[in-house]
Amino acid sequence: MTMVPQSGGSVSRSGGTGGSSLYDVLELILDRGLVIDVFVRISVVGIELIKIDARIVVASVDTYLRFAEACNRLDLEAGRKEPAQLPEVVGDMMEGGARGKSKGALSGAVDAVSESLTGRSSKREEPEEEEEAEEEAAPRKRRPARRPARRERE
Amino acid sequence: MALYVYAITGKDHPLRLDGLTGVGSHPTPVRTVTAGPLSAVVSEISEEIRPKRRDLQTHREVLDKLMSDAAILPLQFGYFASDDQTVQQALEADVDRYLATLARLDGCAEYHVRVSQTDEDELLRQVLHDSPEARELNERIRAGEQDPQLPLALGELVAREVQGRQDSLAAGLVQALIPYAREHTTHPPSSPDFLNLSLLVAHDRTEDFLAAQASLARQIEGGVDFRLTGPLPPYSFVD
Repeated sequence: MTMVPQSGGSVSRSGGTGGSSLYDVLELILDRGLVIDVFVRISVVGIELIKIDARIVVASVDTYLRFAEACNRLDLEAGRKEPAQLPEVVGDMMEGGARGKSKGALSGAVDAVSESLTGRSSKREEPEEEEEAEEEAAPRKRRPARRPARRERE
Repeated sequence: MALYVYAITGKDHPLRLDGLTGVGSHPTPVRTVTAGPLSAVVSEISEEIRPKRRDLQTHREVLDKLMSDAAILPLQFGYFASDDQTVQQALEADVDRYLATLARLDGCAEYHVRVSQTDEDELLRQVLHDSPEARELNERIRAGEQDPQLPLALGELVAREVQGRQDSLAAGLVQALIPYAREHTTHPPSSPDFLNLSLLVAHDRTEDFLAAQASLARQIEGGVDFRLTGPLPPYSFVD
């Protein structure tokens, strides 16, 4: 199995059930997969809030004010990293010769920042053994999300 | 007594489960119910199953073990039938469809990609850097202007910019990865994710796919977290 090196882009890759958290596969296990109508389904009420942000969130005054507040307290001199752009990368991939313009790797500052921003530990809080598997206490909505569902087959 | 159902497979699936037992607080052996060319993988349960971590994990472990030998059609978590006969009837009712789906998924695994913004401040700095209009609004607010329209205008501008950049990055990632997949599907992401992508990757393309996504991940910066999970049973591709 190819090992994916950890990088400044904060990649985490998990294979099967080994050490990987239930978090990212919870939606897959609960919402995707075959449904057989003649069978009975146990009640999954309570963890259907997996889809808490699936509905379209219209950009709201609250969101705007939050962004303005965030800009207000930004330390603009704190050092700007290269923007997360993709056009060049995509171009390289298409040519089949991505060399990887490796920018300077980021430190573990990302984890610390993500903790304070998202309000949850970077160690995904998983449901307790004997407790109902709930989605973590609603992650604060960070931005208006208008996202159409697209299912595509080649 | 009832039968908890994990997956549908071809009847010749070797079912090498290394003694894995099933869901419930009194786990029983996992076995099969066969009807014609198909089998359903089941275990007996004697109680109501709740969506507890332990059982979600068991469900997942059974599927992960099964998928390594041959194509499977994973069921959603939490389905049970009253007895073997009910299961057989369900298999017989849709035999052609299940066989066709197994054939379509043969030799492939699902890889699931989530991308999220972990460093929002970094993104905001970029937006302010690139937008004189946003910069001006921000400076006026910082200078003490009290007009309540200013933060609204700034916030709306920034929100639009953030959305646009994330959409663009997500679209770029999708375009870069889907050449390696037989099929793909996106779903509405849940905040703070801005991409929720599943790819059906054939075994013989896996190495190239993993190299490609590793290369992409190395090149993405700006406080973005790229999470890849897999290989997985084809949860997202069974219908």
